[in-house]
Amino acid sequence: MIEAKDVSLIYENGTVALKDVNLYINPGEIVYITGPSGSGKTSLLKLFMGIEYPTSGSLKVMGQVMEKSKSSDIGKMRRKIGPVFQEFKLIRGRTAFENVMLGMRFLDIPPKNMKEYAIEALKNVGLQHKASSLVEMLSWGESQRVAIARAIARRPSLILADEPTGNLDVDNAMNIMDLLASFKDENTTVIITTHATHLIAHKEEGTFIRIRNGSLQVEKREVATI
Amino acid sequence: MKNVVYNIGYFFNEAKTLFRIDLLSNMLSIISIGLIFFILSLVISGWDIMNFTIEVIEKEAEINVYYKEGLSDEDISRLIDNIKAIDGVGNVEMVDEEESYSRMKEILGDEAHILELFEDNPFSPFIEVQINISDSDNILNQLHDIENIDFIRDNKSVIDRLKDIVSVFEVIGLLAVIAVGVSTLMVVSHIIRQGIYNNRDEINTLKLLGAPQIFIDFPFLVEGLFLTLAGGIIAFVMLFILLNYGYGQVEMAIPFIPLPSADNIIRRIVMFIIVTSGILGIVGSLLGVANQGDS
Repeated sequence: MIEAKDVSLIYENGTVALKDVNLYINPGEIVYITGPSGSGKTSLLKLFMGIEYPTSGSLKVMGQVMEKSKSSDIGKMRRKIGPVFQEFKLIRGRTAFENVMLGMRFLDIPPKNMKEYAIEALKNVGLQHKASSLVEMLSWGESQRVAIARAIARRPSLILADEPTGNLDVDNAMNIMDLLASFKDENTTVIITTHATHLIAHKEEGTFIRIRNGSLQVEKREVATI
Repeated sequence: MKNVVYNIGYFFNEAKTLFRIDLLSNMLSIISIGLIFFILSLVISGWDIMNFTIEVIEKEAEINVYYKEGLSDEDISRLIDNIKAIDGVGNVEMVDEEESYSRMKEILGDEAHILELFEDNPFSPFIEVQINISDSDNILNQLHDIENIDFIRDNKSVIDRLKDIVSVFEVIGLLAVIAVGVSTLMVVSHIIRQGIYNNRDEINTLKLLGAPQIFIDFPFLVEGLFLTLAGGIIAFVMLFILLNYGYGQVEMAIPFIPLPSADNIIRRIVMFIIVTSGILGIVGSLLGVANQGDS
């Protein structure tokens, strides 16, 4: 699903966001990325989404060699991703339902299924009762859940969630974490960044990546099978 | 692609939202485009009317041949036969003094009483010759070679002058088409660029979600098309009112001027405005979205 070889990302102002990252993520894997603010978590997701390109090294996302990609290829690749942005990026002036629908309109989802997927996704994040509310009328936590609904309604191969629980109370945050993690059972790769380590401390399964100053420390936990 | 059909309603709703967000600019743009199209349609209809008038005058072109005094009936009859034998000559008819007098009386209308000042009929008989205007030079040359002709009155100079006016109209029309094209493209592409700027966050989000460029651009194309079509409707309404008023005035003041049917002109102008505004709307929008670059 994702293959990074000696990937470094240095911003134009000279800030080293990531250095010599080597990573291999399989389809259906769940990955938790933790680290303090400014450690490079969001930069790593930006690389996976084609918002930033590696300064050096080689990065392949869903078979797409990122450093050699044209913008049209990146667009096609993004259609297979369900992104949850830290700042939500919801479209103002539209309802929660319309925002979720908008994320699907240009995908290969049959029109007859779109509404059903949107309603189901809103239900999964506990917001079916707010479907017709304008997003600017929603609280931060609700907006975040709409952003998550938009991502999961797309039936993506890869979910990239940047601090998806940042504005949620503990119960809601746990629910969202469990919801996102449940997609791995559908062979969807789920990558979640969070600084709330307490939310994942109890997790028994997944890849746990700790980023510090642009360097990665990877730990894999697997449920023992007899 | 079934999703395109499914999304039509969404594209129109988005275009409506774009229009509403920048309502004042959009309204002013429609008015400007309407005025620009109105000027263009005025020139085009003027051109159309002139062409029609010339065509009618050319079809009805005739010259009057005055013969020398004292010719016998036989000489006159021979003269008529000679004229009829010329290529390009249509009907040839003798107009005697009385007919000539009564025609002038009809032309003068209320002023005809001045003819009563003459003790005798002051008009001479003449031969009325219908001609094909394109052969007029050749016919006039041949008439000059025929004996017993005293004087030939033709309206070639009038037609030549009308043709000059039409060619001026053609140049003005061409310039007007270019001016309208450029101004409309400028207005539409500017308003589209403004819309893109106002919606840059939404566009950026759509790009991050992987929306194809055409999906992002489509509402802007619809908006551009709407601006020009609405401008076209304004121009049409103004032209419709002006033509109806103008026709009434011309028909009262100079009823002998042949004019094409106002309905025909309006029908042609409507087609012209729809096609032109449609093309300019799409091209202007494409220009507007073309250089938006990556957000």
